[in-house]
Amino acid sequence: MRERKPEGVTLDVSSTQQFKTIGIKVDFVAPLTVDAITARALLAQVLETSTEAYPTQTALSRELSRLYGASFGISVLKLGTKHVIRLTCAVVNEKYLQNFTDQQPLFEQAMALLKAVIFKPLMPAGQFDETTFNQQRQNLFAAVKSLDDDKQYLANRRLQELVFKDEPAQAMSALGNMTTLSQLTRADIAETYRAMLANDSVHVAVIGDVTEERVATALADWPLTDRTSDESSPYFDWTAQDRVTNAEDVAPVVQAKLNLAYRLPIYRNDADFLATTVFNAAFGGTPLSLLFTNVREKASLAYYASSSYNPYSGTLGVQTGIQFKNRDQVLAIVAKQLEALQSGEMSQSLLDEVKASLLNARLAALDSPQRRLTGLLNQQLTRQRLPLKEWEAQLAAITVADVQRVAQQVQLQATYCLHGGDQVAE
Amino acid sequence: MLNKKDYPKLEESRSVTTLANGLKVILIPKAGFHKTYALMTTDYGSIDNTFVPRDGQPAVRYPDGIAHFLEHKMFEKADHDAFDLFGEYGASSNAFTSFTQTSYLFATTNHLHENLDILLDFVQDPYFTEATVNKEKGIIGQEIQMYDDDPGWQSYFGMIGNLYPKEPMHIDIAGTVDSIAKITADDLYAAYNTFYHPSNMSLMVVGQFDPDEMLGWIESNQNAKTFPPVVPIERERGPVATPDEVVAETTRHLSVSRPKINIGIRGFDDVPTGADGLKYSLALSLVFDLLFNDTSDNYLRLYDANIIDDSFGYDFQVQRDSHFAQVAGDTDQPDQFVAALAAILDHAEDQLVAAQDQFDLVKREAIGRLIGAINSEEAIANQYDGPLFGGATIFDELAVLQQIEFRDLQAAAQVFWPQSRRTVYTILPE
Repeated sequence: MRERKPEGVTLDVSSTQQFKTIGIKVDFVAPLTVDAITARALLAQVLETSTEAYPTQTALSRELSRLYGASFGISVLKLGTKHVIRLTCAVVNEKYLQNFTDQQPLFEQAMALLKAVIFKPLMPAGQFDETTFNQQRQNLFAAVKSLDDDKQYLANRRLQELVFKDEPAQAMSALGNMTTLSQLTRADIAETYRAMLANDSVHVAVIGDVTEERVATALADWPLTDRTSDESSPYFDWTAQDRVTNAEDVAPVVQAKLNLAYRLPIYRNDADFLATTVFNAAFGGTPLSLLFTNVREKASLAYYASSSYNPYSGTLGVQTGIQFKNRDQVLAIVAKQLEALQSGEMSQSLLDEVKASLLNARLAALDSPQRRLTGLLNQQLTRQRLPLKEWEAQLAAITVADVQRVAQQVQLQATYCLHGGDQVAE
Repeated sequence: MLNKKDYPKLEESRSVTTLANGLKVILIPKAGFHKTYALMTTDYGSIDNTFVPRDGQPAVRYPDGIAHFLEHKMFEKADHDAFDLFGEYGASSNAFTSFTQTSYLFATTNHLHENLDILLDFVQDPYFTEATVNKEKGIIGQEIQMYDDDPGWQSYFGMIGNLYPKEPMHIDIAGTVDSIAKITADDLYAAYNTFYHPSNMSLMVVGQFDPDEMLGWIESNQNAKTFPPVVPIERERGPVATPDEVVAETTRHLSVSRPKINIGIRGFDDVPTGADGLKYSLALSLVFDLLFNDTSDNYLRLYDANIIDDSFGYDFQVQRDSHFAQVAGDTDQPDQFVAALAAILDHAEDQLVAAQDQFDLVKREAIGRLIGAINSEEAIANQYDGPLFGGATIFDELAVLQQIEFRDLQAAAQVFWPQSRRTVYTILPE
């Protein structure tokens, strides 16, 4: 490497000839706070729009087209106690292009563009451009408002608000909320921007036919300064309630959305993490699962009935779309599947199939440059890098008793049903 | 014998053949990949609801949603479910139905030969009883109701219903709760026997394998089975709306936070066949890029006037018996949205000339995006349109795209636009 990498900045390069493109990902990671969520969502939206050199979204889009349709985007996500602003960019490897005559390869041009987006935004006189700011604030407002048009999303959001009623940062959408948004000023966003550049942990990753040295050279040009490495835990720890909260709302929906939330206090670094992944796959995470088999295939009560596990917040969720009149029957079937796993009633064949499908999914993910890039953040946050062979060996060793031990830690916290009322039920 | 074609610049190749039973096989090896993706497709979709059953006369009108219902029921057998057989190897499997095709797939990183046999065997071994058919009605009923609550889906299919008011396309691919209630096991057998003959199907395999060995596996599976002789498929296309019957506009109220507008443009011209059809399709896609993509002057003007925002999008698609474009988005100014887009679409050919200086840029982008799509086995397989474009693969599509010039866009627009008809489908908050 030509230059010392700044403190608090990491670089991962996956050199491979497997793909036609070279992909770049830059994560800015900060502590999750309720105030920062909305401000950072708006900052991401503003940064994505323009730069000093490309002062309109059209100018920026034309530059991306000139780079042979470079894909580019800035997104925000919440992971446990962290908030991430993620920039991604992918360009074609020019060796696959006919008549390529640019002076510089597309990868170096893409790195230069990302540098401009991050370090040279459209900020005349130290403030973000007023027109851009107002427009993007309006757009984000509309986007947050539109989220609830997706009734499956809405049911899940209301469920999160039940579980995390005293933890607004956990309950809130990654895009923030409308009240905060309406109060944000250009000065707030400029402050958020400066704090991001100065304090956030930065994780850069590149995948494609490039050498580590070539990436390091392109990155050396970025004015990243030293920052304190964030050693704090990414895991959100919380205490389960003994009482289950139940709520429902009537809305103009044809299908009832019935969702459940559980506490599952096992995190990514825990010894039982992989067993928990197996548990989730067996409970509702795959089409082989007990929920899919019993709610859908056997009882014909749903088209979707699945579970999801969040290893950063220690939560397990169940999502179903059903007829409202069948709610109690569905709740009973879901409860029975969990009880079965808690009492160790799991066939060896289900365990074997679920493990085989997790192995298959892990290997298949190696064929997706996006998933390989985004998967790296888990390694950064957990400071764990488990080689494939060791992961396979750990997976193979998991037993029904391991899954049972995990299932016994699952505790129902809340149920929520969004439905059309009795008059719509058939 | 495999017919192999190399694409040296792309470092890719494809091998194709047609088996003795008529099954078309397309094999694309992907060096360095871990997974293999196999997609078996029949040229039979939701619009094919009236046809002469293989063993009968005359044409019969079957309940709406039968192709999609059949897709669901193919997995279930007398003593097992094909999902579980794939599951034993950890492979993932799925299926989907469109207006004109039904496809079955698996993806695996191991036991490729075994999984291939499972795919071929479950798609070629129908098993339906009244009991299993009736059990599926609850599941598909919930699938239909899930989409009833999806405003994006409602907007898209509302627009299509206006463009194709008499054709089967105006009915949801899955049918309705009432129409699927009428489906019987005999109906499914009739549809199966008519459309699932190997001569009406293709098998595309993309991934980590040797093409000759793969072909050997496929042939040994197929040679062990007997198939009835090929008979021509007689679909009855049914009523076709005249241009004047296209519904000009519809407004609906739904539980949405902001107005949603979908403008559809139906072509009444005849799409050329084979590679010419592919060129026509790509040229018109580029026309819409020039008019509406985020590098266009139109886009910036409407964006700055807050008439469109990041939800804005468009596409152009060609399928058997239909081709249409959609231009859609959420907006707080629905009247201005419709007026501004109508003003552009009314003068599309002039607009095209005005945007000519952006042609090279737009073409560059399309080329780069298509090359990027070759990263994905799913994209390679799902792009394949079978007989529609003369069996062209994504590599052939790239070659056609690279040859396209601005005058091809003008030629396609001159054919498409004068005969096209438009609809505006608006969803407003309640």
